[in-house]
Amino acid sequence: MAETTSNVLVTVPAVASITEIREEIEDVKTYFFAFDDPELEASFRTRSGQFIMCTIFGAGEFAVSLPFSPENDRRHLSVRRVGKVTEGLHTLRPGDKIGIRGPFGNGFPFEEIKGRNVVVVAGGIGLIPLRSTLVHALQHRADFGRIILLYGARSSKDLMYTANIRDWKAIEGFEAFLTIDRAEPGWTGEVGFVHTLIEKAQVPVENTVAFVCGPPIMFNANIKELMGRGLKDEFIFSTLERHMKCGIGKCQHCAIGRTLVCTDGPVYTYKQLKTLGEQI
Amino acid sequence: MFILPKTELPRLLESLGSGRDLYGPIYHEVSGDALFEKVEDPKAVRFDAPIPYNSPKSAIFPHFEAILRYAYDRAAKTIEMARADLVRPKALVGVRACDLTGLRCLDRFFLGQEFVDEVYRDHRRKMFVVAQTCIAPFPQCFCVCTDSGPYPAEGYDVNLTDLGDHYLFEAGSEQGTALASELGLKPAGADAAKRRDAAVDGSIAKFDPAARDDKAWISRAVNRLTTGFVKNETWEYIGGQCFECGACAYVCPTCSCFNIEDINTASGPTERLRTWDSCSFEGYSRMAGEHNPRRPIEDRRNKRFFCRLSYSQSKKYLRPGCVGCGRCARVCPGDIGLPNVVTYIRRETTGR
Repeated sequence: MAETTSNVLVTVPAVASITEIREEIEDVKTYFFAFDDPELEASFRTRSGQFIMCTIFGAGEFAVSLPFSPENDRRHLSVRRVGKVTEGLHTLRPGDKIGIRGPFGNGFPFEEIKGRNVVVVAGGIGLIPLRSTLVHALQHRADFGRIILLYGARSSKDLMYTANIRDWKAIEGFEAFLTIDRAEPGWTGEVGFVHTLIEKAQVPVENTVAFVCGPPIMFNANIKELMGRGLKDEFIFSTLERHMKCGIGKCQHCAIGRTLVCTDGPVYTYKQLKTLGEQI
Repeated sequence: MFILPKTELPRLLESLGSGRDLYGPIYHEVSGDALFEKVEDPKAVRFDAPIPYNSPKSAIFPHFEAILRYAYDRAAKTIEMARADLVRPKALVGVRACDLTGLRCLDRFFLGQEFVDEVYRDHRRKMFVVAQTCIAPFPQCFCVCTDSGPYPAEGYDVNLTDLGDHYLFEAGSEQGTALASELGLKPAGADAAKRRDAAVDGSIAKFDPAARDDKAWISRAVNRLTTGFVKNETWEYIGGQCFECGACAYVCPTCSCFNIEDINTASGPTERLRTWDSCSFEGYSRMAGEHNPRRPIEDRRNKRFFCRLSYSQSKKYLRPGCVGCGRCARVCPGDIGLPNVVTYIRRETTGR
């Protein structure tokens, strides 16, 4: 699974500085950061789909997925204000310090999926953990078949990374389908739930991998639609979130079935998810 | 094998206590309870004390521990951060076979997986373990069912067996052998192993007959827990009995879930505190935003027994996680210690 653990920050967080903050949607901000140690800044490597443990000094630590591509993409985190520690993060300003341990987790299989069509299906902030894979695939455009983004949110105000999506649309052969739950004045995209885009986009099932992340009801509807069209469960990937304390398979808080989300996940195929025997 | 005269035990403890923190079974001065604690005076150690209320895990996996200290000056944007350094090695003495097996489970779990737990590793470094053959089992003991006693097969530096007039001193490592020569111990006679085995047999004979009969049921419970064939009604019954107090996890020699919280002090640095946790607690799996994937108690309760007995978890310990010490059965106010859970799983098929 993990290639090596020698370059992973296991116990003591590395200090990083927030370089820029962007408002994404209500309660969600993107924090660009750089390690204070220039050597670490140059050597820190991640895989798409991995996560880190982020320390907000004085508040605590939380597990957070990595939205940036492993290559040529500014390092950032996109975080919703939802509990004590993330509230703490939202009080920070550029120049403030954060702590980082990791990277942890298996990540999405990038090399194995080369040559296939890539379908990214996201609902709301579910696009955050999938952004890394999407950008990475676009950076290696020639290695893939169709690259399709199917993305939906409650309203146009709840769509993440809209500026990014506009930029990606300039990449030849990238197909983006956006939808919101209810029609709004000035909205020219689709209206309806995300799974209805699968038909509209004529998503292929042959030689295709899908990445799905979003709220449970959205997740289930899309799995049903994709599998109904013949996509096998072993080619559908998702990523799980759990209460986590250590990231290294010791605190056991993220146990689900016989696996630990931190070291066996957070990326699972739907085939694996079905056998875990617990609510996902 | 060597002979350790009983009068020489204090000298052994003194030798181990010099330059090391000494932990062993003692009697609490007020309650008289047997506890496994850090001792200042080696003379307080009681090898003949009953099985201690707590397991030796607290010596190397403390109930509360500051694993990191930091001070962030937000105005100056400076941060000072340091990990607690543990320099003094430890000596654990009088460790019974069940608890020794528990330590080995913790070793394999914390040191032997994908990541090494650095905090645990520092506690464990240079540790000296004096085990003892358990010649006096207690009513709740069932190590004979879990292959973890009463004689410790491996994993000690020294094992002592009480042979009445003296201890049989078995060295299990180079530092154990070195201690024997330091103390100038005489080699044991030709019949020593035979006398030790007789003491072990005598100990096994003292076990509750139910414990000796339960062997097959432990392995069947392993099978059923692993494959998920335990009925929902059984878990619901067990969940209904659970007080969610977490005592089973705290006294268990191998339960090692922990929580981490950053605790601010009014003055001075913030401490990152690592504390014991239990999967029976409602907040154990609750995420920020209040979503809790494992809410009902029976959902949480089966987790501990899955962890202690399932084959999946056994792969991490290289044996079942239960070592038969019976402490969970002793402390549980709801009468759902592990032996009873095995009984409930048995009743599913036998009806008795």
